[in-house]
Amino acid sequence: MSKVVEISPTTRHEGHSKLVLKVNDDGIVERGDWLSITPVRGIEKLAIGKTMEQVPKIASRVCGICPIAHTLAATEAMEASIGCEIPEDAYLLRMMLQCANRIHSHALHNILTLPDMYLPGTDSKINPFTPEEPVRSVAKRIQTLRMVGQTIGEIVGGEAIHPSNPRVGGMYKNLTPRARAKVLDLAKMGLPLAREHMEFMIAILRNYQKRDWAEVGGKEIPIPKDLGYHNQGYMAADPVYGSSSLDEIPGWFPERWTEVRPWDWYMGEEEITLEDPSYPVGGTTKAGTKAWPQMEACTGVPLYDGQPVEVGPRARLVQFKNYDEKGAIGLQIARQMEYMDCFYKIIEAADALDCSAPVIADEIPQGDGSIGWAANEAPRGCDVHLAKVRNGKVEYFSMLVPTTWNFPTCSRALVGAPWQLTEVIMRAYDPCVSCATHMIVLDEDKRLVAEKLLE
Amino acid sequence: MVLGNYKQVIAARSTDAEILRGSQDGGIVTQLFAYALDAGIIDGAIVAGPSDEPFKPEPMVATTREELLASRGTRYSISPNMSLIKEVTRSYGLDKVGVVGTPCQIQALRKGQLYPVGLRDVPDKIALAIGIFCMENFPYQSIIQLVEDHGATALENVSKLDIGKGKFWIYTERGATVQIPLKVTHKYEQPGCHVCLDYVSNLADISTGSVGTPDGWSTVFVRSANGDDIWAKAIAAGAFETKPIDSVKPGIELVTKLATEKITKNQQYIEDRKTKFTVGKELRNPYI
Repeated sequence: MSKVVEISPTTRHEGHSKLVLKVNDDGIVERGDWLSITPVRGIEKLAIGKTMEQVPKIASRVCGICPIAHTLAATEAMEASIGCEIPEDAYLLRMMLQCANRIHSHALHNILTLPDMYLPGTDSKINPFTPEEPVRSVAKRIQTLRMVGQTIGEIVGGEAIHPSNPRVGGMYKNLTPRARAKVLDLAKMGLPLAREHMEFMIAILRNYQKRDWAEVGGKEIPIPKDLGYHNQGYMAADPVYGSSSLDEIPGWFPERWTEVRPWDWYMGEEEITLEDPSYPVGGTTKAGTKAWPQMEACTGVPLYDGQPVEVGPRARLVQFKNYDEKGAIGLQIARQMEYMDCFYKIIEAADALDCSAPVIADEIPQGDGSIGWAANEAPRGCDVHLAKVRNGKVEYFSMLVPTTWNFPTCSRALVGAPWQLTEVIMRAYDPCVSCATHMIVLDEDKRLVAEKLLE
Repeated sequence: MVLGNYKQVIAARSTDAEILRGSQDGGIVTQLFAYALDAGIIDGAIVAGPSDEPFKPEPMVATTREELLASRGTRYSISPNMSLIKEVTRSYGLDKVGVVGTPCQIQALRKGQLYPVGLRDVPDKIALAIGIFCMENFPYQSIIQLVEDHGATALENVSKLDIGKGKFWIYTERGATVQIPLKVTHKYEQPGCHVCLDYVSNLADISTGSVGTPDGWSTVFVRSANGDDIWAKAIAAGAFETKPIDSVKPGIELVTKLATEKITKNQQYIEDRKTKFTVGKELRNPYI
């Protein structure tokens, strides 16, 4: 006889979401729904009629952890629609901004992950707030990595949170030689720290994989070997930066994308029948409460080839580097493995940058209403924005955000896990729920969507 | 208190002949920044640089002595120096920023440091704020009117503009001098200057201006601990020639007199905004 337990709200991720879980008598998830309950802000709807310069700045405000992803994806979607090629040095600046943001975001996520993890060889969990060693120096290292990421982002992007430098057609400002030197100094300072930190994090995660149990709310919960396994596919447009419809060989295929409503995907109305007041901190939802994921979910459900897919660090490594580790911890390890590339790319781009070259296209067309899309590999995965621009105004705008893709995939990955560990699986996806929550596109017929895109 | 808080006030001028050649008075701002740049106290400074039009200033980030020299001289027109205060820490990549400004601009700087609204990473990067004395400012159009119409002089022939001794002075490249009574200039003033209660840049680290000292010299107020430190180093490095302020004419009394006049007049204007311009309503007062 299955019971229903609900964890609401979930914690240690960005935004507001909950887990509605059908479990068997042993507390193992038979069907899990992880859904956004962040209010829809409707960026895509309110973008219509606004200028193509304005919309990326609004889209940036979807999220303050990965604003770079939305700024760049939206700007490049506009550029793809109007057919504007940006200068090489503008691209180099955007690349540095992209990598700097990924460094800070991954480091921030380490802080959210570590409290689930154990110091290797001990039964004590890691509290990042403790003044005691060895955790204190780890926390300081994370802070330094984030400082490096944010400062580089600030120099090349104009601002670390909601970058001001990107614009349709390139960038507002190139760097001065002094600023470029500062970026290089910071990157070279961060590089050894990142290596040390990556190795530390992987050791911590490997230790978790070897453990038989984890303590949650005073109870020993068995850790299954296949924690967070799923059989969905992966989707990534690029190992580091992204792709757009201007590319000769695009990395993303709009005709393979469809989107359905939560109604078609999530569970119907359920009554909570299992309650655990000892679940840290504050217990689970009271028994007798009604939950209705179909109605409550605030995201659309995007599908690729008719299936939910996983996006993010592992998807990138699977797609481009034959990474093959499954499960929640496998995903976490893939995330750590991205640190080094970010630093190398920044150094490479800063070396290649010509500080006196123009960073804005000579001509910026105003658009004839053609569809353009741009995929940005955000810290959490592939962030695709689609736009139609006519006479400088946005006619159509849609955002397919990483965590939106991951919501249904992660829901699948919950099956087989003790319900007390479902948050550990969810956190492995580094959810960014306010990113994920956007206007639902009611396109149920795959063919119709494809036709609409080819207009 | 009309002169603000200060540790010392002196008459000074730069010891660098090249700086003095194009400077408005004693070359204090240019010399201080040039010294601070040399000594690594600042990486660069926001100054009022030249623009395409004569005597129209344009804010600029100077990171070399050449750029500092290019920005010598007073342009009696608005230069929105604070528009670069954030960018200087971004694409310019500066860590130790020098800023020169009129009293209102130094106020903006200090407000930005204490209440950094949208000014992330700016407050801790300000290394040296130099304020200049300011009685009032003019929109660029006013300068065109004053020089071209009232002064009957082509602006591109002008080598120096100066307000002093009750006159607006125009000096041309070819040696002519034109003077306009200040009374004529009043209607061309920027209206926003009429609520200003600061004459000698009370909030700067070091402030300087021409009033109180003879031609070619400047009156210098050293105000903050930071300013005191930098001034002492600059003196030790031989950057300035100084005289006690008591030993020069007209001295601190004239500065006090003009500061008192400015503040009293503008204080009255602020009072008037409560009652004189509307019936039953007040115009906004930013000081409350």
